[in-house]
Amino acid sequence: MRAAIEAAKGGYNVAVVTKVYPVRSHSVAAQGGINAALKETDSPEAHMFDTVKGSDYLGDQDAIEIMCKEAPADILELEKMGAIFSRDKSGGIAQRPFGGADYPRTCYLADRTGHGILHVMYEQLLKYGVYLYDEWHVVKLVVKDNTARGIIAVEYEAGKLHRLHSKATIIATGGYGRLYKTTTNALSSTGDGMALALDAGAELMDMEFVQFHPTVLKRTGILMTEGARGEGAYLLNAKGERFMSKYAPKVLELASRDVVSRAEQTELEEGRGIDGCVLLDLRHLGEKKINERLSQIRELAVNFAGVDPVKDPVPVKPGAHYSMGGIKTDNDGATRIKGLFAAGECACVSVHGANRLGGNSLLETIVFGRRAGKKAMDFSKGSPLSDFPVDSLMDAAHEVANIVKRENGEAQYIIRDELNAVMEENCGVFRNKERLARCLDKIRELKQRHNGVSLSDKGELFNNELLSVLELGQMLTVSETIVLGALNREESRGSHYRTDFPARNDKDWLKHTVIYREGGELKIRYRDVKITKFKPEERKY
Amino acid sequence: MADLRYAYYPGCASQAITKEANETTRLVAGRLGIELHDMPKANCCGAGLLTDYDYELYIALNARIFAEAEEMGMDILTICSTCLMVMATANRDLKEDPGLLDRTNKVLSKVGLRYSGNIKVVQLLWVLAGDYGLDKLRKQVVKPLNWLKIAPFYGCHSLRPASALGFDDPEKPWSLDATITALGAQAVQYRGKTKCCGFQVDLVNEETAELMTAVRLLDGKGRGADCFVTPCPFCHINLDNYQKLAEKRAEANISMPVFHLSQLVGLALGLSPEEMGLSRHLISPEKVLK
Amino acid sequence: MKIKFRIRRCSPISKEACDPYAQVFNVEAEEGMTVLEALLKISDEQDPTLAFRKSCRSAICGSCAMNINGFSRLACNTQVIPEYKKMGDMLIEPLSNHRPLKDLVVDFTPFWRKIEKVTPFLTPTKKTSEATVTAEAEAAIDRSQRCIMCGCCNAMCNSLEIDEHFIAPAALAKAWRLVGDVREGHQAKRLEKLSEEHGMWDCVRCVHCTEYCPKGVMPLKQIEMLRSGALKAGILDNPGAKHVEAMADSVKKIGRLDEAAMTFRTLGFLRSLGMIPFGLTMERHGKMPLPHIFPQIEEIEEVRKIYEEFEKALKKKKG
Repeated sequence: MRAAIEAAKGGYNVAVVTKVYPVRSHSVAAQGGINAALKETDSPEAHMFDTVKGSDYLGDQDAIEIMCKEAPADILELEKMGAIFSRDKSGGIAQRPFGGADYPRTCYLADRTGHGILHVMYEQLLKYGVYLYDEWHVVKLVVKDNTARGIIAVEYEAGKLHRLHSKATIIATGGYGRLYKTTTNALSSTGDGMALALDAGAELMDMEFVQFHPTVLKRTGILMTEGARGEGAYLLNAKGERFMSKYAPKVLELASRDVVSRAEQTELEEGRGIDGCVLLDLRHLGEKKINERLSQIRELAVNFAGVDPVKDPVPVKPGAHYSMGGIKTDNDGATRIKGLFAAGECACVSVHGANRLGGNSLLETIVFGRRAGKKAMDFSKGSPLSDFPVDSLMDAAHEVANIVKRENGEAQYIIRDELNAVMEENCGVFRNKERLARCLDKIRELKQRHNGVSLSDKGELFNNELLSVLELGQMLTVSETIVLGALNREESRGSHYRTDFPARNDKDWLKHTVIYREGGELKIRYRDVKITKFKPEERKY
Repeated sequence: MADLRYAYYPGCASQAITKEANETTRLVAGRLGIELHDMPKANCCGAGLLTDYDYELYIALNARIFAEAEEMGMDILTICSTCLMVMATANRDLKEDPGLLDRTNKVLSKVGLRYSGNIKVVQLLWVLAGDYGLDKLRKQVVKPLNWLKIAPFYGCHSLRPASALGFDDPEKPWSLDATITALGAQAVQYRGKTKCCGFQVDLVNEETAELMTAVRLLDGKGRGADCFVTPCPFCHINLDNYQKLAEKRAEANISMPVFHLSQLVGLALGLSPEEMGLSRHLISPEKVLK
Repeated sequence: MKIKFRIRRCSPISKEACDPYAQVFNVEAEEGMTVLEALLKISDEQDPTLAFRKSCRSAICGSCAMNINGFSRLACNTQVIPEYKKMGDMLIEPLSNHRPLKDLVVDFTPFWRKIEKVTPFLTPTKKTSEATVTAEAEAAIDRSQRCIMCGCCNAMCNSLEIDEHFIAPAALAKAWRLVGDVREGHQAKRLEKLSEEHGMWDCVRCVHCTEYCPKGVMPLKQIEMLRSGALKAGILDNPGAKHVEAMADSVKKIGRLDEAAMTFRTLGFLRSLGMIPFGLTMERHGKMPLPHIFPQIEEIEEVRKIYEEFEKALKKKKG
């Protein structure tokens, strides 16, 4: 949406195509905040260092520098548009500490920062008259001669396929948390854009880096914001110990997410958990502070875990949360396909490297969304509208019709459940060669089976089941790239932890994994990391 | 029964348009041994309109009513759901927000008053179904209304906001249904029983008000009700006084008698239709009485 | 425990119409299971044709609002077992006041159009854009900012039930989000527009919006603030504002509501005339409100003094 606003402000004819209504997109669930060095005692350079260190030195430092330098102006611009962040005593924007950051740098709107920003983005879409095609599911990015021509999408409400012919296409489809059984992500986070881009000929980068958030509710995977620890919450094991003192003696609960998740997983595997969970303890913060700063967290814990954090500690565990990897882009969101751009979680610039810091994801969507919108606009200015291949709509229609036509096949949810289980089991916080290889075999088997699924719902209007089958196909494509990347990377870095290669290995692996498709096969190449200011060193919290 | 003593707040409507509600409440309360003590100083609660006018003025004026009750050493009993909602909401806000209570008392001190936040506001229905008790009420019934199918019309203000009222459950209200049963009659179930009668826009948007009234009455009628009963005089104004207008607006024949809660109780206690002021109704209830 | 879900479904005939029917599904409910989880289970294992909207499943995206046992709720934060224990039933229906398209999916277009009607974005002037947002200023609009546009309030809105053109609580909460923002530059213009027909004065104060909002937005509270704002801005030439002004005058004068005087003030003389034939019937039954038949309350001076205190404070605030 930030990209659309930028291009629409420039006077371009912009449409947003989305499978949910814009205010329903998963950014709405981002709780904790958005980072920017606003204060004189802070600096973009310090923000940059924390981000580079957090990324386990895999982030590209030129991109990180852009993000950190442009952050303050973007925050102020969000307020100009109408957003309001929580205030400090003097009427300035308040900032809270977040994991992995050396300075309280995270701006927030209570514990619903993403919601606040997303709704303002929506307001701006209306202000600038951006066309909305909501509840449309994109089935194809149309590319010919390495130039993007537009998209083909199913209008869910009418069951019709449409083509949208455009000079430039920007993918901003978010993550793929739904590959995993335990995830903080929305049911709609199925990695669609990444799969579409790969199929269209773009490259995916660093897909093996999956962030597991350390504090999610057990059964539902619902997120308890890092802001809770930012406000001072403790993590306790079954013995009541603040176990983080063993893993990150200096900053304890506020170490970066990969470190905390691994610590929790270790506690769990060594038998110091309670019913598969550790405890997030907010009680000492007091009811007043909890209601003021973390009211939604209290609501969620009560409604979804039956625990009131004012009175009892909340059982939590790690859950799939964020994709550091994604569609490979340059610093302006451009992919290797002309006219095709990507921004946000689905893209990999890369600013998060092997592990993202809390408060940097909303920031990435705003900074690089704006940049991609601007670049797409510039690109459109300079190039003619190339034709839309006539057959593509017909081909897509046949593909969809084939799914609908098939009879007596398997139901999609069985395959989805198996995928969730195998990813959770084998491609989670701890990985090794044997598990990953098993996982890859299973995914390939599931892909085969997915080709045979059939639908019970043959109707055209609001065919939920058809949508699920399409999403599942995209999920399988994405999982394959994650496991392939993870299997090849024989080291441990950031969120990617190999029990068979527990150390970071800068000599062989300080490089990005790039996956692309060639003749139907997935291929891997590697690319150097851009290192400008900060030389890799050991990461300690 | 001396413990059922209340500062009695009939509300503006029942002191004029629906004065039969006030008069019959006094009769019925007397029969049941519920003491009602007049509040000669009490001002209007604002019926929600003063909330729109100026929130803190509304709070201060309501606190003035509460101060009088506090002086009398009694909780307030009202027979108007809107008064109930408006006063209970003010009371909740005053109790929850010490800053508001302070500011309000500062204003009240200019007229030598003070409210310490210690009274409760209840309505007749709650007393019958609560402290008085329906078992006891049942024993007082001399003329069970066993031929009547009655649509209980709670309306909105006797149930919501639950955070301020708290007696009954807005999703599964029981008090009026159970009272009807205690009087020997049968309660009719219909969706509109906890919805709005339309009174708040009677003078702002007649069309909405009249249609709303018609929809509620037709809803109950469709489920076989012989008559309606409501604990609120404003609901009564809409359902009874304005029923003819509602019929015209909806182009439907309704002819539905509507009782005040106190009238229904009175009839079951053996009081006469004259004593219950039934001739004051625009839709005569005669046809449903034996 | 096995729980019976009765679902009111609707098979689409076209984009404009669907054919309603009811269907029962038995679901094995475990502790903590939400209605959304139950629906997902039904659609996976029993009937994949069942249509409903869903996304975040954590009560922040606003997709899964529907009627559960007659009242609008988010399916994702309504737990099955407590709901069943309380209501003794599990009746799932499409959101009321909205037209079903298929099963539990309703047409949300009118909802978005209403939001669009209130110019749902900040329109600062050069001067107001410089205003500092203090913590107090943020607090004034905090509740309205929590809206997730799920439609629970509109679904329960009694006024919208009768008049489909009513602007309805969701858009009004949004309107206060902007009118109440110290950086907004066109408050008066917005309030004037909101005072038009089918606008904010058509709210019947049934409190349902506030009761059924899953996020504590309290739309009625926002409506009250809009109305106060309009009165203070002198936007008085409409029945709603006149009604309130008449009430305020009446209480100040005699301490109570003077219905006859209010009828004249609110409707104006000509429209009051239109009420006379009906008024005559009322008179026969002794129900015609006659002006000033009420004695004023005792100690009315106290009430007047309280009014004066607020008038003084308001004057001081204005300058």
